[in-house]
Amino acid sequence: MRKYVVIYKSVLLENLQYAANVAMGFFGYFVFIFIFTMLWGYMYRTPGELIAGYTKEQMIWYVMMTEMLFFGSDAASVAGEVAGDIRGGNIAYLMNKPYHYTLYILAKYTGEWSIRLPMYAVLAAVIGMVMVGPLPEFPLAALPAMALCVALALTINAVFKLCISLFSFWIEDATPFQWLYNKLIVVLGILFPVEIFPQGLQPLLKLTPIYTVCYGPAKLIVDFSSEKFAEILAAQGIYLAAGCGLMFLIYGKGVKKLYVNGG
Amino acid sequence: MLTVVKNQMRVCALSVKYNIMREMVNKVTFLTNVGFMVLNNATFLVQWMILLRMRGDVGGYTMREIMLLWGFMAASFGLSHILFARAFSLSDLIIKGKLDSFLVQPKNVLVSVLTSATDSSAIGDFLYGTALVCACKPGVGGFFLFLLLVVTGTVIFTAFAVLLGSLSFWFVRMDMLQNQIVMGIVSFGTYPDGIFKGASRFFLYFIIPVGMAVWHPVHLMVSFDAGMFFTVAGYACVLLALAVAVFYRGLRRYASGNLMVARL
Repeated sequence: MRKYVVIYKSVLLENLQYAANVAMGFFGYFVFIFIFTMLWGYMYRTPGELIAGYTKEQMIWYVMMTEMLFFGSDAASVAGEVAGDIRGGNIAYLMNKPYHYTLYILAKYTGEWSIRLPMYAVLAAVIGMVMVGPLPEFPLAALPAMALCVALALTINAVFKLCISLFSFWIEDATPFQWLYNKLIVVLGILFPVEIFPQGLQPLLKLTPIYTVCYGPAKLIVDFSSEKFAEILAAQGIYLAAGCGLMFLIYGKGVKKLYVNGG
Repeated sequence: MLTVVKNQMRVCALSVKYNIMREMVNKVTFLTNVGFMVLNNATFLVQWMILLRMRGDVGGYTMREIMLLWGFMAASFGLSHILFARAFSLSDLIIKGKLDSFLVQPKNVLVSVLTSATDSSAIGDFLYGTALVCACKPGVGGFFLFLLLVVTGTVIFTAFAVLLGSLSFWFVRMDMLQNQIVMGIVSFGTYPDGIFKGASRFFLYFIIPVGMAVWHPVHLMVSFDAGMFFTVAGYACVLLALAVAVFYRGLRRYASGNLMVARL
């Protein structure tokens, strides 16, 4: 475990040097939030109106939190790096190092988002306060619980994206599968809370990674309750265990398929 | 003069043809890229079904207008990435000094640069956009109008990307900003203009040209207006002229990166 902590620390320190680069991405985040503020401003026609049990402020804060997770984690980098390592042959060197390749990638990724996410969290808080106003009855004492769920959500998302990238052992380019996974997360989890979908679909959506990756943590931030926290934490534990099992299985099978063409 | 233009067009067509042939070397990857891009775009219909279930219209757009909106966005953005994909990474070429190999060619530098790459997944965007508009049953005349407006949209997207990319001749780190602004256009362009009010609306019509590339074409398909059509066409021409002028003005400041590149 210590070696992964060392990897995490070194990536964290490296990324601290490039914190200004992260800030360049704020524009994209602002555009999304601006669009959704306008959109929900149009959809809510009377003050105090509820849509799927959410007030306008809660709905915009929900989108801000899910987008914060999306932009602040930049899981695309983990997917791109793994696919690049496999396609480019770099994996042949990395798999012989005294660590497990997938855990090495996860440790690196955690080091990256440890800088990005707090920056986006501050930005989200500032934009939210200015454009929407404070969240009513936000429990400051529950912040550590929320942070735990957020950290687990980002790790689960990275594990699933890593699994998809590991398909590069069999197919040349797994990127199209990443697009589809991303879009499902965006459309079914980031843009709307689960409650907005038809009643029949909601239990099904709660069984997908969407529940643990974006809906769960965002819902806790917008409308915290200790029962909800326990439920989401349990679901995240199951998903993380299953995801890691799948990741090790695919990696184990994939490295047996590895062909090195020299270079 | 006419022969020069004809030759240049022939070189462009060959360049795009060979780009696509290169992308098709691995047929499975090529078809997966195209097919999954269509699926990827189609997922957003779910979003609009949900929003339109809550209200009959969003910003004055019903499902038909939403389909036209996505049709124009996907087809114009797709065509610009099929024909002129390099416009969207122009900053990178300038910053890393990779323009040298284009400067020594006996053809127009900007056109050679723009047509030097093709994004295979953009074929999926173009097909998806065209299929969506066809599903709206626009009629033969309407379909030709769609094709004409996709051309103006493509010119606007490409010219705007060239304009932003060319700023790299003066400013560093424009590559990130170019990418952010282009993605911003895509984000704005997939939502109805009716939800934006006041200054943001003016900004999105004239400064970031989403209105001219996507929203006006949707309005023209719903109800044709010659004045609006010529405004869009005129805007596309002016933006193109401005982009070309800024690129060649900036090219005077270009410094090679001493990078050894072979263009095959």
